[in-house]
Amino acid sequence: MTISEQGYLHWKGTFVERTFPWWPIARLGIRLAFKRKFFKFAFSLSFLPVFFFLAGIYVSERLDDFQSMLKGADRFLKVDPAYFKNYFTSEFLLFMMVMLMVLAGAGLIADDLKHNSLQLYFARPLRKRDYILGKMVTVFFFVLLLTLVPGLLFILFKLLFSGSFAFLAEFPWLPLSVLGFSLCLTLFFGFYTLLISSLNRNRRYVSILLFLVYIFSDVFFGIFYGIFHNPYFSLLSIKSNLQQVGAAFFKVKRAYDIPWIYSFLVLAGIAVVSALVLRRKVRSVEVIK
Amino acid sequence: MNIELKDISFRYGSIVALDGVDFNLDHGACGLLGPNGAGKSTLLRILLGFLSPERGDGRVLNFDIRKEQFMIRRSVGYMPEDDCLIPGMDAVTFTAYFGELSGMPRQEAMKRAHDVLFYVGLGESRYRLLETYSAGMKQRLKLAQALVHDPKLLFLDEPTSNLDPQGRAEILELIKDISLKKDINVLVSSHILGDIEYTCSRVVILNKGKVAAQGEISALKEIRYSLYEIKTKGEREGFIEALRGQGCRVEETEDGMLKVYMPPGFSRAAIFETAVKENVQIRSYVKSQTSLEDLFAKTVGVD
Repeated sequence: MTISEQGYLHWKGTFVERTFPWWPIARLGIRLAFKRKFFKFAFSLSFLPVFFFLAGIYVSERLDDFQSMLKGADRFLKVDPAYFKNYFTSEFLLFMMVMLMVLAGAGLIADDLKHNSLQLYFARPLRKRDYILGKMVTVFFFVLLLTLVPGLLFILFKLLFSGSFAFLAEFPWLPLSVLGFSLCLTLFFGFYTLLISSLNRNRRYVSILLFLVYIFSDVFFGIFYGIFHNPYFSLLSIKSNLQQVGAAFFKVKRAYDIPWIYSFLVLAGIAVVSALVLRRKVRSVEVIK
Repeated sequence: MNIELKDISFRYGSIVALDGVDFNLDHGACGLLGPNGAGKSTLLRILLGFLSPERGDGRVLNFDIRKEQFMIRRSVGYMPEDDCLIPGMDAVTFTAYFGELSGMPRQEAMKRAHDVLFYVGLGESRYRLLETYSAGMKQRLKLAQALVHDPKLLFLDEPTSNLDPQGRAEILELIKDISLKKDINVLVSSHILGDIEYTCSRVVILNKGKVAAQGEISALKEIRYSLYEIKTKGEREGFIEALRGQGCRVEETEDGMLKVYMPPGFSRAAIFETAVKENVQIRSYVKSQTSLEDLFAKTVGVD
């Protein structure tokens, strides 16, 4: 049968005005992430600390039952803001977030640049900000699942296991801290991932760059701090900056004796650079003057 | 009127890409012809609202190209020249996705994607990953995503590039079917003259950012040219030079014939008079059918 014999019917439906035109883009990003090799494994592995910390909350309420097993460990099982800070800024969790970004976020813009898909997006009734937001929400989804959701679960389980609201009465600001720092981490990883994803058309290079920038920022901090013993070098490290800001959100002692706002400004600076780069890189047409 | 452009100008830095382009498209299929750098792609980008013209006004499907780009993009389908895909997707999801981004409800976009993929001949391979598609299949896929939201106007940028003869013939047949039987108006940008001649009834020829000619192809060929094929005997170098001196364009063909393009108002008798003067016998004198290639060569001034 030749093509023209196969028929073409006009569509009789009506177009819908979407409140969130970015949602199909975000949904596709999430779907494609789960199709990637190792992603499901890495995603599952990222939830390990959630189970450990949840178990910790349970045990902390049953210290008498577990006394023989937990000699001297009760000081680690004190559920207070520091407990939350330890979860949110643990090296493992931050590392796993970077790994998830490597697997799920590297190609978000790089693939569209490589395969010339941007012009298809912008040939639709879509603004640049809808496109960027769609890509960013993909990152938000994964980071919030590892931050906000467990953080709120920890509070809920603490209340359930203790059977009273004493914990909330003692730290009434804690849910806001969980929300605030989750958003801070989410926004940072969103901008960081999209920034690097828009810098190159090759997903592999982007993956390597995402990983190396995170790791080497910490390595350089370690080297300089080792030589000069100056805590201000912690501003070089993405991980240390996140930990400093986390400590401020949960009102616990910071690891390095420098104002947390400096670390916050470094992270905000990365976000601003990202916004500027995205504004330049995400275009419907490549105009060469 | 589907497209109305008045005095459209655009420049990339100091390079003038379009200079005072006036152009109207009513119904049917229209070809956009021009050599590389003539401004074809820039014009398409302006029509889609990707670029804002420096000067001039325009309307596409009665929407202002400066203010109502969203409405234009909702009603127009665009098939870009480059290969475009999203790795990891199959054709159905890909086509439905762009339908959804155009504003179609999700379920309907999915249903429509199946229909359109069958129409363009990708029905059997619609669940295959796009990375495994051949060049011809990618071309059809681009057409499918441009058709999924049932546009009123279709912009096709080099629709037959990278295709083998069979694939090219099928795509051209499809374009012709869309424009003639499906009530979708088509603007085809191409540098392959045969494609335009086969699919379009109208043509706009751009050269150095300006409209060099526009109108019905048949009428343009009729008006612009008197092309004669002449067979001569004798020393013809002087004859050719004399004709050129009178404003004719003369080409020698491989089989020894002369193709003489006469300028408007040129008398046919002058050819015979020149032949007598140059001592050349005219053995055959036939009015030839001008092709779009002839029209293009004459208008743009290239061979």
